[in-house]
Amino acid sequence: MDLLAQYLMNGVMLGLMYALVALGFTLFFGVLNVIQFAHGDVLTAGAFAGLAGYALVVRAGVQASLPQLLTVVLAATLSMAVLGAVLGRTLVLPLKGAPALNVLLATLMGGTALRECIRLFYPGGSQPQRFPALLPSTAWALGRFTLRLDNLLMLAAGMALVLGVSLLLQRTRTGLAIRAVAQDEETARTMGIDFRRVVLFTFALGSALAAFAGVMNGLYYNEVNFGSGLLLGVIGFSAAVVGGLGSLSGAVLGGFLFAGLQTLGAVVMPFASAYKDVFAFGMVILLLAWKPTGLIGEPLGERV
Amino acid sequence: MSAAAQDLVVEHVFTAYDRADVLVDVSLRIPAGSITCLLGSNGSGKTTLIRSILGLTAPRSGSIALGGTELTRLPTHRIVRLGIGCIPEGRKVFPRLTVVENLVVGAYGEPRREVVAERLERVFATFPKLAERRTQLAGTMSGGEQAMVSIGRGLMAAPRLLLVDEPSLGLSPLLVQETFGVIQRIHAQGVTVFLVEQNVHQTLAIASHGYVLSQGRVVTQGTAAELRADPEVHAAYFGTSTTEGMR
Ligand SMILES: Nc1ncnc2c1ncn2[C@@H]1O[C@H](COP(=O)(O)OP(=O)(O)OP(=O)(O)O)[C@@H](O)[C@H]1O
Ligand SMILES: [Mg+2]
Repeated sequence: MDLLAQYLMNGVMLGLMYALVALGFTLFFGVLNVIQFAHGDVLTAGAFAGLAGYALVVRAGVQASLPQLLTVVLAATLSMAVLGAVLGRTLVLPLKGAPALNVLLATLMGGTALRECIRLFYPGGSQPQRFPALLPSTAWALGRFTLRLDNLLMLAAGMALVLGVSLLLQRTRTGLAIRAVAQDEETARTMGIDFRRVVLFTFALGSALAAFAGVMNGLYYNEVNFGSGLLLGVIGFSAAVVGGLGSLSGAVLGGFLFAGLQTLGAVVMPFASAYKDVFAFGMVILLLAWKPTGLIGEPLGERV
Repeated sequence: MSAAAQDLVVEHVFTAYDRADVLVDVSLRIPAGSITCLLGSNGSGKTTLIRSILGLTAPRSGSIALGGTELTRLPTHRIVRLGIGCIPEGRKVFPRLTVVENLVVGAYGEPRREVVAERLERVFATFPKLAERRTQLAGTMSGGEQAMVSIGRGLMAAPRLLLVDEPSLGLSPLLVQETFGVIQRIHAQGVTVFLVEQNVHQTLAIASHGYVLSQGRVVTQGTAAELRADPEVHAAYFGTSTTEGMR
């Protein structure tokens, strides 16, 4: 029972990270019909930007962990928002009209370059880096299950972000422009919408979400390395596809579903928990064979 | 500013999609305050001319100017914000946006909420049916209802010049008549209208003058009365019998 609670908590944490990554994929696909394969590496870069911000404020003599935490989160999300927009501007927009495969290739290479830059140029970047524990270490023992305050805080913040993105899309002028562009780019432009601005904003937003997931990942495992984003990127992409690319709730559903599958794999095969990813990806393949367009396949209104 | 200074002037425009020119040396003028029509059979390049004006398919050469402002170098959203509205061919409503959202997008260039709300009320007054269906997704509406959404959306920009591409396409005779009535009312409120149509009778009944496009070239132009009597127009639209065409 206690063990199950532990699994559940872990699954929810992972699901939220996956969902945040998947949201980016689904947003980019929504406005531009492209897959941005540097997204996982943007997540890594975000975590490292957070680390760099941390190093700077520590050197500046800031002791309290709250301002340190804020610095980490802001450094990660803001820098990746800028980087995301730059990637969109340099790798994706110029290839508009070219086969989708070209964008995939360009971003795949861009991501590889980014990853190698972190490995080569970040001080000690080729080694795993310790990620500081900036959240309160309060924990409650409930039988053999320990409920940790830091996990709860991350959950709350991540959920708030997901909700915020959903509100942004549904309730604001910018969100309306994003949805209009996603449905019919030309007509959206004819309505006076600045297409390039909408695309760049979307790339900034999606990349900031990935950066936040990167920070979450660092805080959760107390460690990051230059390859952290690789698997997270693939998982986020799978989650977005399983949920139905372009669908917001599909991305969230897909993220939690993937984490659920991993957890299930670990629970039912405790003797081989190292194979939980194999199990989860296998199930994803089966799911796609069953529902090729994803679980939420283009329902009216709901798609971005 | 004099009325003529606000005319839309197209001069020697060539537009191509891939290689072959679809528009060949097209020149025309849409005088401010007029209903100017563009006639022409399928594939003659009417929609391409509208796309050229809007910057969706930029001309290869030539000039398009509104009140002296050159449009051909501007991106679409900037062109539109100069006061050009569009009711595109085939309605092009956003299927997964509600009626209200479709209309509000039409006023995207207007940041003041209260102005947008005011325009919304005016569109609802013109199309009471849309007010009843505020929250319906436009994609689930009938063709006629989508036509109302598309026209309403075009009005939300409060344009000085409205480009209308085949509004009667796929509508019942009754709805066609209603649509032409609405266009006339829009014009009466001071909006210049550029009307692309195949429905020659009703078009010439409300337009003051117009142009005929054939294979990408302007082959005839004149007042509505002149066009009604023109052999080219008859050849294209009424068969060869002149008396049939006059009815
Ligand atoms: N996106 C495009 N790519 C390539 N060729 C196009 C494209 N759009 C139109 N054309 C070609 O340009 C020519 C003119 O098309 P256009 O749509 O302007 O005609 P139209 O006068 O609006 O016809 P209709 O009355 O059928 O709407 C046609 O030969 C068409 O095949
Ligand atoms: Mg046409």
